[in-house]
Amino acid sequence: MTGRPDPADAELVLAVVVRDDREAFARLVRRHQSMVRSVLRRLARGDHGLADDLAQETFLLAWRNIRAFRYDARFSTWLYRIALNAWLSHARKRREVLLDDPDDTPEAPPPGEGIAAADRIDLERALAGLPDGERAAIAACYYADLTHEEAAEALGIPLGTVKTHILRAKARLRAKLGKEEPR
Amino acid sequence: MKDAANDPLEWLLLDDARRPLPDDGFARRVALALPPARRPSPWLRPALVLGSAAVGSAAAWTFAPAGTSLAQGFLDLARLQSHTPSALAAIALALAMAVTAAVLVAEEN
Repeated sequence: MTGRPDPADAELVLAVVVRDDREAFARLVRRHQSMVRSVLRRLARGDHGLADDLAQETFLLAWRNIRAFRYDARFSTWLYRIALNAWLSHARKRREVLLDDPDDTPEAPPPGEGIAAADRIDLERALAGLPDGERAAIAACYYADLTHEEAAEALGIPLGTVKTHILRAKARLRAKLGKEEPR
Repeated sequence: MKDAANDPLEWLLLDDARRPLPDDGFARRVALALPPARRPSPWLRPALVLGSAAVGSAAAWTFAPAGTSLAQGFLDLARLQSHTPSALAAIALALAMAVTAAVLVAEEN
């Protein structure tokens, strides 16, 4: 016997809009929390506590503004934009503090399983050391799984700049992680 | 961009990005932080509709020309005299009640 298939995001959004359905919203949260929190961890330079606070704010904003969701877009892309704006808003408030803080190293993540927990820690640290624009481009294209075009639109920068950010970020990461470029 | 076959960095990034983060109670914290559910009283709208109808009827009765009565209006209608003030008042009352019923039925559905 097979269970009922998982409803699509749009169906769940509709249930929230029409019936104020909290269980439908909880399913959306469970489905997308990993992407939102991963993106915010990258943007927040590995600060997991801050990332989770911003992720919670993201979902609360999504709940409040869910009637503004346009069904022709992916719900995950819409959520990503809210998360990005939450981070930008936070960064604007904190900019001076962040720039003046010489000890801005990220906390070490908990050890992962399987492939190289050490590699993950190194990657997290290397990502945290990238300039804001490059880190945001990597977060959008890898962790939010956006195309370059979608990332350019969401970040409000030209497509060429996104591609440049990605190339430069990967060059920096290769240099820091000792991963050679494929021939 | 995402040709990970021969590129250790690409592979590492994709693998890290696809690794699902455990919920760890996050969804529950979000649910608890949501504003309380909207629970409008089930009697509020019917009360408003019926109250408005009652106030309108009272106003119509107060300002009706002297000698106008609903009973007379229905008698006039029964005699097919629909242009007397009493008959018009009876028609207006019937219309108001029909609109009230329609609104309440729509709300119920």
